Amino acid sequence: MMNGKEYIDSLRDLNLEVYFLGQRIKSIVDEPMFQPHIHTAAMTYNLAHNPEHQEIMTATSHLTGERINRFTHIHQSIDDLVKKVRMMRLLGQKTGTCFQRCVGLDGLNAVYVTTYDIDQKHGTNYHERFKNYLLEVQKNDWMPSGAMTDARGDRSLRPSKQKHPDTYLHIKERLEDGIIVSGMKAHITGAINSHEIITMPTRTMGEEDRDFALSFAIPADAKGVTYIFSRQTNDTRRLDGVLDGGNPKYGIVGGEAIIIFKDVFVPWERVFMAGEYEFTNELVETFAGYHRSNYGGCKVGLADVVIGGSNWIAEAHGIERASHIVDKLTEMIAMAETCWSCTLACSYEGYRTSSGAYHIHPLLANVTKLNITRMVYEWMRLAQDVAGGKIITLPSEKDLENPETMEILTECFAGKEGFPPRDIIKMLRLIENMSVGAGLPEAMHGAGSPAAQKIMIARRSGIDKKMELAKIIAGIHKDKYFENIIGKDETAHWNEVKKKIKGKKVQIY
Amino acid sequence: MSDRPSLAYYMPSIGIRYCGGCNPQIDRSKVIRKAKEGLKKIGLKVDFCTDREITTDIILLINGCMHACLEEEYPRKDKTLRYISIKGEMVGRQYVEEDHIPEFLIKKIVDLFNSPSH
Repeated sequence: MMNGKEYIDSLRDLNLEVYFLGQRIKSIVDEPMFQPHIHTAAMTYNLAHNPEHQEIMTATSHLTGERINRFTHIHQSIDDLVKKVRMMRLLGQKTGTCFQRCVGLDGLNAVYVTTYDIDQKHGTNYHERFKNYLLEVQKNDWMPSGAMTDARGDRSLRPSKQKHPDTYLHIKERLEDGIIVSGMKAHITGAINSHEIITMPTRTMGEEDRDFALSFAIPADAKGVTYIFSRQTNDTRRLDGVLDGGNPKYGIVGGEAIIIFKDVFVPWERVFMAGEYEFTNELVETFAGYHRSNYGGCKVGLADVVIGGSNWIAEAHGIERASHIVDKLTEMIAMAETCWSCTLACSYEGYRTSSGAYHIHPLLANVTKLNITRMVYEWMRLAQDVAGGKIITLPSEKDLENPETMEILTECFAGKEGFPPRDIIKMLRLIENMSVGAGLPEAMHGAGSPAAQKIMIARRSGIDKKMELAKIIAGIHKDKYFENIIGKDETAHWNEVKKKIKGKKVQIY
Repeated sequence: MSDRPSLAYYMPSIGIRYCGGCNPQIDRSKVIRKAKEGLKKIGLKVDFCTDREITTDIILLINGCMHACLEEEYPRKDKTLRYISIKGEMVGRQYVEEDHIPEFLIKKIVDLFNSPSH
């Protein structure tokens, strides 16, 4: 297993073609705009070497029996599913942002489950290929990015009907030794600081979209792969100093990028789906289930940070005992722990798939994520409320350090005794970073938008069973348990009751 | 070939174990009722039993959902246990729509009792 520093050094061996703000970035590792994201991913490596966190951060490989980073593990039990979300919360607490590596973990698990099922039906050998690939991932402790979402273009049209053929990633040519692929994947988390890319289809494909039913893995710097790094709220503040960024060590959200594949060759041993369109739904839903469950871990870890920061600011401002402040902080805690309960529940209610890997409870995972799409906004709104208007009007670090303005600013921003003004500004900047920026829409749309969760919830809610419950209680359908209790047929019972009450009137006093 | 008498002369026994039924995706008792009726129709006599103290030829685990609480208890405790596990709309590793579970189950039971290893 690599540690954090070794991970960063390993990125130097990659030769990625990355563009940002109209320029080619020569060194990913040395680029100040990318460094916070790299530090965050490095935390997933570093904590695996820390005895205080190894129980959560590492696992035993079911392929080799060796100790591996949990981010390369295939879940072998309910306990693994629970530890996975504990790991998410822990890393959210340690970084205050998205640590990127869970997408690859979920991709590994979803492809593992689906390739097994494809082979069962078609007699293919995708699962064996994938296990060989997984061995490489575990041995090298790679971070693969999980590339699912395509550019999608006109969403009323199927992938094969799009105006530009590269709107969705697809097979251009099938060769004896592999396939040639082209297309685009959008907002891929951690893409520029990953060793590998695992691709998955973004939606259910039909027979006409056979060439779009595609999953494979390639090195991140494979020939023909180009990255365009996305903009984030206040991102160039990183070039203005240390203070204004808010979370200069770990940044804000995951560092997303567009990935363009242009005539990329993928050898067959790294192809895990090539045309089996009837399994695209399984792959998408399996991945989405894993990924949606994570949000009740990582975002709650972030909530722990922002709740702590809000309470600290309330103390610094001398208002920590005001009843409305206590009430708001309590609300924030209750919402965060509600989401945590959801993710624990969907892990504990998980199940063993045919492949032997464990999957979360899909209905509860979607409920988890749907709560996140609402509650993150709400607890961040309360954080802004508690912190006060200063979070959006603070002077810049340069003005704080300018001899002309330094003294008056420092004095006026001083809080209660024992809270240095610069520390107060640091904390307010952190709350600004976490509650005003890109983290909010990321909580909304990451792992799928609320509508996607509602579709899954409606599909899996078992509404017919609920109607039957209501019919039994209402007396429309037979209630065998009630008949057990009364020791006779229900109709006969009510006829007897009617006879007994006949002629009786309500006593009015 | 098995040295056991054929099904024509031998009444196999099946132990039924229901999970607690907190939020079942299937009507568990209906599945079993239909399976019993189906077995009767094809003339196969089976001794069904819910008493946990009585040893049976096989055990039928009726889990209401994929989580399969009963699998945590039975197969893990006794690795030699012969069982069929229904987990919501899964029977073993196969997805089966609720309405088709009884006929699928009947086939599994017949296959199991006709297999040479039995």
